[in-house]
Amino acid sequence: MSESFRGSSGRKVISRATASEVGSVGHLLVDAQQRRVAAVVIGRGKKAQLVDWAQLSGFGPDAVMVADENVLRPPADDRERAATEGDLELVGKRALTERGNELGQIDDVTFDNDTGVLEDLLIGNRRVPAGSLLGSGSYAVVVDESQETSP
Amino acid sequence: MRLLMTASQIRGLPVVTVGGGEDVAEVRDVIYSPEEGRLVGVTLNKRGFLAGRSRDALPAEAIHAIGQNAVMVLDESSLVAPQDAPDDVGRPATERNVIGDDVLTEGGTSLGKVTDLVLLVGSTGEVVGYQIDKDGGGRGYIPLPAQLSVSGVALVVPNVTEEFVQDDLVGLGASVDEFRARMGLT
Amino acid sequence: MGPIGWLIIAVIVVVVVVVAFVVVRRRRRGGGVIATKGKR
Repeated sequence: MSESFRGSSGRKVISRATASEVGSVGHLLVDAQQRRVAAVVIGRGKKAQLVDWAQLSGFGPDAVMVADENVLRPPADDRERAATEGDLELVGKRALTERGNELGQIDDVTFDNDTGVLEDLLIGNRRVPAGSLLGSGSYAVVVDESQETSP
Repeated sequence: MRLLMTASQIRGLPVVTVGGGEDVAEVRDVIYSPEEGRLVGVTLNKRGFLAGRSRDALPAEAIHAIGQNAVMVLDESSLVAPQDAPDDVGRPATERNVIGDDVLTEGGTSLGKVTDLVLLVGSTGEVVGYQIDKDGGGRGYIPLPAQLSVSGVALVVPNVTEEFVQDDLVGLGASVDEFRARMGLT
Repeated sequence: MGPIGWLIIAVIVVVVVVVAFVVVRRRRRGGGVIATKGKR
């Protein structure tokens, strides 16, 4: 099923062991080279924690399920810390082509809620397939030059 | 029809890595070789409102593409220490600003003074023309051949250039191909 | 001069120093379009 970054932001994260809420979706950390969601950032800022996608029990339309609180972990490196601070958030990020021209700002990103694989980047009235994604970071998202033509 | 931009529009652009999406520097000076008809590199500033100069430089070979909003590189290793960059880029002759140089045809006609270089958007620094202040007043754009012969006094262009003075970048974009065909070059 | 007068002077000095700092920093960044050595 298709999910979106905007749509899932703020969604409850529930521990199956205790049936209680352990937090809410703050950001989704993406692996640009693999074009998939790598981890879910629960909460935002200094106290935020991460759950690797593989450790999720499920990413449902009403709640994100984890087996128990043990799968939540603090950020392990600078990149993950940047993610908890929101620096790597795709929504609102500038989109550039590899030719150095701006396409616009990312309005939303869709992904498969089963596999975490990214589907499309929505930029203005463009729908850029995730296959065009070359890289993403704190400054911009870079897509390949097939996107240089008009939408 | 080619999309064009000026060299002064490149100054201040961020240098962005394709794989990392990071702005690792921004462009300070644009270094141009009239003989080669292209940029040989750029010098850099660090990013940030109060950040100073960067000692690293970016030679043209390491540029992936120059666009209207960013200069793209593959990764941070594209930026080189000044001692590893070609002299023209690592230690540029900052007093040799090409802006203000006279443009003369081979036959000795003055066309005006250079106010900017015109480059192909998306290339790695191919210079296709000059923006000039015409001797008679007003701004003009002239196409350039792939290589310019150099003189000690001014930038020297082929005689036929005189027929190709354009009023705007769009006109220049449309005329570059025709100009080069007239010059007998591809 | 009363204390208000000194306060105003202090603020003006701080503003001038900050502006000078910013201007000098920003000017160091100035760039140009440069032709390669030995070629004109």
